[in-house]
Amino acid sequence: MDEHDLRLRSLTYGLFVELGRAPTVSEVAAFGELPSADVSSGWQRLHDQHALVLNPATAEIRMANPFSAVPTAYRVKADGRWWYANCAWDAFGICAALHADGRIETSCPDCGEALRIEVHEQRPDETTLLFHCLVPAARWWDDIAFT
Amino acid sequence: MNLFRSEEHIGRWLGGRAPGATITVGKLSELAHAWWSDRLLPDWQPRTRERNQALLDRLGLDGEFWQLP
Repeated sequence: MDEHDLRLRSLTYGLFVELGRAPTVSEVAAFGELPSADVSSGWQRLHDQHALVLNPATAEIRMANPFSAVPTAYRVKADGRWWYANCAWDAFGICAALHADGRIETSCPDCGEALRIEVHEQRPDETTLLFHCLVPAARWWDDIAFT
Repeated sequence: MNLFRSEEHIGRWLGGRAPGATITVGKLSELAHAWWSDRLLPDWQPRTRERNQALLDRLGLDGEFWQLP
């Protein structure tokens, strides 16, 4: 990853946190004083390197892991805002990335019971829950939205 | 990558599918903080596969399931 793409990635993530949502190509271009075409081509390279995930239909951001650009089953309150995470791992990852305590809200995929976990100093207050990862690590990026 | 109430709930959700890997929510939090805590740092650099694998190994996630490509 060259310096240009590292800067674009940093700009993109910074705007995501500042706005509380995924920035558009136009917003990153305006904020970074870059041509929109450079943002789009840079995002595609970052996507190819698994540094973010684009929506194939729109070429806008789908995931800036651990953040999700679209609503999901994992909501996280951290650093004064609500966020969506891509999965349970990313839900804790949002607290980690923001270096903040937080609250994770989701539901058991089996029975639908609401689950609420408070994260304080990196530790969950609920200790009986289990995390299940269905896809082996070697295949996580075969279909990252499914993983 | 989901959270469940118990092993019983995981088994029921899987139906006939082969299970993946299960860890406690405490271990998940450790993993997430080790994996994501650098993500917003201004000097962030992509980690190599070897560094990512070492991170998993350090947390005891070292079976075949956790082997990165």
